[in-house]
Amino acid sequence: MLVIIKSAPDTPEGRRGVKLARHMSADIVLLQNGVYFIQKEKLEDLSFYRTVYVLEEDRRLRGLKDNGNYKNIKNINYNSLVDLMGGSDKVVGMF
Amino acid sequence: MSKIAMILRKAPYGDINAAEAVRHALGAVSDDMEVSLILVDGGVLLTRKGQDDTGTGFTNLETSLKDCKEMGVEVVADNLSLIEHGLKEEDVVDGVKLTDEDAIAAILKEAEKTMIF
Amino acid sequence: MAKTFTLYLSTSPYSSENTLSAIRIAEASLNKGHSVNLIAPADGIYCFLKKQKAKGITNAEEEFSRLIQKGLKVYL
Repeated sequence: MLVIIKSAPDTPEGRRGVKLARHMSADIVLLQNGVYFIQKEKLEDLSFYRTVYVLEEDRRLRGLKDNGNYKNIKNINYNSLVDLMGGSDKVVGMF
Repeated sequence: MSKIAMILRKAPYGDINAAEAVRHALGAVSDDMEVSLILVDGGVLLTRKGQDDTGTGFTNLETSLKDCKEMGVEVVADNLSLIEHGLKEEDVVDGVKLTDEDAIAAILKEAEKTMIF
Repeated sequence: MAKTFTLYLSTSPYSSENTLSAIRIAEASLNKGHSVNLIAPADGIYCFLKKQKAKGITNAEEEFSRLIQKGLKVYL
């Protein structure tokens, strides 16, 4: 299962998305303002989740650095996003 | 000279607010107004260094923010919001004043008009 | 295996980043040989008006016209 989150960490939508993903043990895709979830102080939380995929283009656009320290955070592009969506039994979102 | 304050509350790129705030700030300063651009809440994320618009078709808003500075717009960012959004002083574009709510209140009191984005 | 992706875009073209996300996802899907439907209700219909002049942000008319040529099916 894949939960797609486009809303920032300071929004009810964004928070709802990650909360649901955690409860459903789903993988997460972060795009648009959702990429702000990989910021330093939010990473602690993200380590509890399954794989967190970050759309690289949207991360770079916002000046956020790649964080290679967390094994469950992976950079993706639109091609890999399409593969992920096509390969998932269920896609939920976008929050 | 007339004074105008613009408050940006939203993070850049996800919606149009940040682009509109810098556009109107540039417009106002080009029209000889005294402009203060006040960044609070998600708006402080506009100050992050290293924004890379390659291939996205977006206007780079870090560049636009620097243009504002160069044109004479006073850019201030709320310190508490910066902390909430995980930004340190070294992450922030040069020339942005880090400030507190009292200083922001003083700017708003002084401005004749305020626009909110 | 080719699949069908159906995207739902109900926001106006220049007030959010949704237009860009929809365009990029649709294009990547089409390039991989999938079929793509795009349903555009509510303010989404404004993405398909003619004579849009957007600059400094993805021009919805130009991009969607290009994708329709590549096989995107749009439902207003």
